[in-house]
Amino acid sequence: MTLPVKLSAFEAALAEQLPAGDLRAELEGRGLPHRRVEDWKWSDLRTALARLPAEAGELTLTMSRAPDARRPLMGAPDQIMARLAAALGGQAQVYDLHNGETVTLDASVAAGAGHGAVVVRARDGVHAVVRERYSAAPGAMLNLNVHYAISPRAHLTRIIEQDASPDAVIVVTTTMDLSQRAHAAQTTLGFGAKLARLETNISHGGQGASLEMNGAYLVGEGLHLDQTGIVRHTGPGGTTRELFKGAAAHGGRGVFQGKIHVERAAQKTDAKMNHRGLLLDGRSEIDAKPELEIYADDVVCAHGNALGAMDAAALFYMRQRGLSEPRARALLTRSFLAEPLERLSDEAVREALMARLQTALEGMS
Amino acid sequence: MLEIKNLHARVNPEEGEALAILKGVDLKVPAGEVHAIMGPNGCGKSTLSYVLAGHDGYEVTDGALVFEGADIGALAPEERAARGLFLSFQYPVEIPGVPTLTFLKEAANAQRRARGEAEVSAPDFIKLARENAAKLGISSEMLKRPVNVGFSGGEKKRMEIFQALMLAPKFLILDETDSGLDIDALKVVAEGVNALRSPDRGMLVITHYQRLLDYLKPDVVHVMAAGRIVETGGPDLALTLESQGYEKYAGAAA
Ligand SMILES: Nc1ncnc2c1ncn2[C@@H]1O[C@H](COP(=O)(O)OP(=O)(O)OP(=O)(O)O)[C@@H](O)[C@H]1O
Ligand SMILES: [Mg+2]
Repeated sequence: MTLPVKLSAFEAALAEQLPAGDLRAELEGRGLPHRRVEDWKWSDLRTALARLPAEAGELTLTMSRAPDARRPLMGAPDQIMARLAAALGGQAQVYDLHNGETVTLDASVAAGAGHGAVVVRARDGVHAVVRERYSAAPGAMLNLNVHYAISPRAHLTRIIEQDASPDAVIVVTTTMDLSQRAHAAQTTLGFGAKLARLETNISHGGQGASLEMNGAYLVGEGLHLDQTGIVRHTGPGGTTRELFKGAAAHGGRGVFQGKIHVERAAQKTDAKMNHRGLLLDGRSEIDAKPELEIYADDVVCAHGNALGAMDAAALFYMRQRGLSEPRARALLTRSFLAEPLERLSDEAVREALMARLQTALEGMS
Repeated sequence: MLEIKNLHARVNPEEGEALAILKGVDLKVPAGEVHAIMGPNGCGKSTLSYVLAGHDGYEVTDGALVFEGADIGALAPEERAARGLFLSFQYPVEIPGVPTLTFLKEAANAQRRARGEAEVSAPDFIKLARENAAKLGISSEMLKRPVNVGFSGGEKKRMEIFQALMLAPKFLILDETDSGLDIDALKVVAEGVNALRSPDRGMLVITHYQRLLDYLKPDVVHVMAAGRIVETGGPDLALTLESQGYEKYAGAAA
């Protein structure tokens, strides 16, 4: 037994809102995740939150249409943030996607700590798009629990935009059940927060199911974005393709933790994961941990990870032609980050995300 | 127009000691003239072109760079470009994800803004691009590709001169523009360069071969060895070098 930790005012306020029970006991016993917890070693949530005002807030969900139902949601036992979101966020908004529709979910918190939960199902054969957007005002915390259930032959496109949220904390924990023969394509464009963590846990059923997970991020001064993705192949013959590219500038920090876990039953899995980071100056930081954990013997799995600085020769070449240094940097950064976004099949969405990236780059230089 | 006075420059590598490369270069190119620089591998020709263009990987330890009466030694590369200095790179750099014409239009307008001139309109720019591409035998497909990406060595050199035509600089530094070009391409590219010759424009042409000079007909030929100009003469000097090589300058390293 370890001794209970000394809770911060923020943690104590959270605990007080919880009914007596396992979750409260766990929070009081261990506190929130911090850097000595392996999965959070680069994202010290506990410290980030200890500096926020300890007040309850409200998570505002603005949706393109009313949900189909509401029901309580749980979180996986090892996901304390998802459990807190479910316990303190009231009933989950449940969406049953209609074929061909696009649903937009805009989650934000204006002040204090706001929690919420959303469930999205794509039933057999349904093709649909969900666009999510997260932001939090300075001093606020957004904690969201999202669950996707994707039935056989369903086809989900998920697009996530995480707005730069200085002095705020954003935690979104997603679990996704990808059934056999289902398809999901997730694309994230994130700009970080004082601490932002977008965690995606996918159970991949295989049997022709395919997953695409792409993301671009740009973190500037005082911003931190952690993208953690765990894909667990449970059935044979599944495909996964991941491409994440990110840039950090002016002391910003990016974290990529990607894991592909192939269970013994998941023979013939074909999975590739790639992360590439661009450090725009010496003050910035990107930490990456790509991992493969494979228990099946007949699989094709690969991962790659590379961190680098701006190409000095290209920069000089562009400046020799007359471009200012900030402009040359912005163009090179944009072209570096474009690749994951270019994989979006919907041209309008692709252009919209590229435009947001462009605006962010212009604001940064 | 361009005056290089007693220029000394060195590199400060991340590892190892500083290395002096330019050891007192003196050179004057008046407006309207074309000067050639020839010299053995490693004597500092490309370094001189980089230093002229303002590359921050080289440290100027002595001397001065005067362009049109102004000391440009402290200017950033883009400021020198806006004043009209253009470097055709010995090794043009690939810039993935940035389409050639987008890049050039942005460069042209950045230069114009810096000079207080009106920006060029998109239709005018496209029209000019078509004309210049036709002169150099460059297809419209090539112009759509990202800058230099996937081009052969010769195609890159052709694109450098296309860029020069588009930007119409006052002063061109051509660093081995002829290397990599086939015989026909060399002629086409040389014609492109000659089209830029004018009484108010100067050129510094770095080359190893007589063939390009046959087309460009330089007014003056300089020999560079061990970081200095060791001999200056007329067009005949290039012919002498062609037959005799650089052996007689070997002592210049001292
Ligand atoms: N960044 C650098 N680091 C170390 N050495 C350098 C660097 N740049 C140039 N040098 C050295 O300086 C010398 C001059 O190089 P430079 O490229 O100017 O030669 P050059 O005359 O253009 O040769 P070539 O005819 O082969 O193109 C060479 O010995 C080269 O190795
Ligand atoms: Mg050279």
